[in-house]
Amino acid sequence: MRIAGEVEEAPAQKTGEKSDRDLPWSVVVHNDPVNLMSYVTLIFRKVFGFAREKAERHMLEVHHKGRSVVWSGGREQAEFYVQQLHSHLLLATIERID
Amino acid sequence: MEFYETTEGRLGLRDIPPVLADLLRQIPHSGDRDSDEVEERFFPSPSHDPDEEGLRDDWRAHVEPELHGAFQSARLVVEADLRGMKEEDDGFAMEFSKGHAEAWLNALNQARLALVTQHRFSEDQLAGPRPDRIRNERDLALLQLTLYEYVQHWLVEVLEP
Repeated sequence: MRIAGEVEEAPAQKTGEKSDRDLPWSVVVHNDPVNLMSYVTLIFRKVFGFAREKAERHMLEVHHKGRSVVWSGGREQAEFYVQQLHSHLLLATIERID
Repeated sequence: MEFYETTEGRLGLRDIPPVLADLLRQIPHSGDRDSDEVEERFFPSPSHDPDEEGLRDDWRAHVEPELHGAFQSARLVVEADLRGMKEEDDGFAMEFSKGHAEAWLNALNQARLALVTQHRFSEDQLAGPRPDRIRNERDLALLQLTLYEYVQHWLVEVLEP
């Protein structure tokens, strides 16, 4: 079982040249003191389809460590998820996985 | 004040004291939405990487207007529901469709974020005891935050899969 904060497995890359967009990207959620813990858990379940336990692990990691990597994979999908999280007023960014 | 859910899929609040009814009516208008700080909190950058200026430009041009529309739409839903609030013997009461619960959650979050940003409440102040008397606008904002948080908790429970 993965622990909270561990990077999710990214989809397999196609062979050939890779651009920056092909590299795995992560979606990071950052802490803010306003969003309720129960609300953040609900949004993680809604946006990523996480089971309650997994959503709560990520929520607690955000709360205690200030950030949690909630997803990783292709750039476009990462941008989509960040937009979804922003639409629920969560602080989220994409980060390149080096 | 009591929260309830009907068998027909409607959500309701009843026995709302007048002062809380007033605060509920302020949900769509709470906080100074025009301030740069509130704007920045509502529309955060999608990346902290200095090399991602292109993404930030695209975000401002395409994503932020969409988010702006979604936030406004949530507030309008709540505003319309609040117009249905009526006075009864034991205070005020209102019902709305369960399908509006997400709009309510979003509008309440907007209100709380705007109030916290505008009044610059610290994390400790938010977690600390509430004032026992309302002496100024800041104390009133803390009361608003407490009420909105209370309603949000209930809506999260309602929406739990």
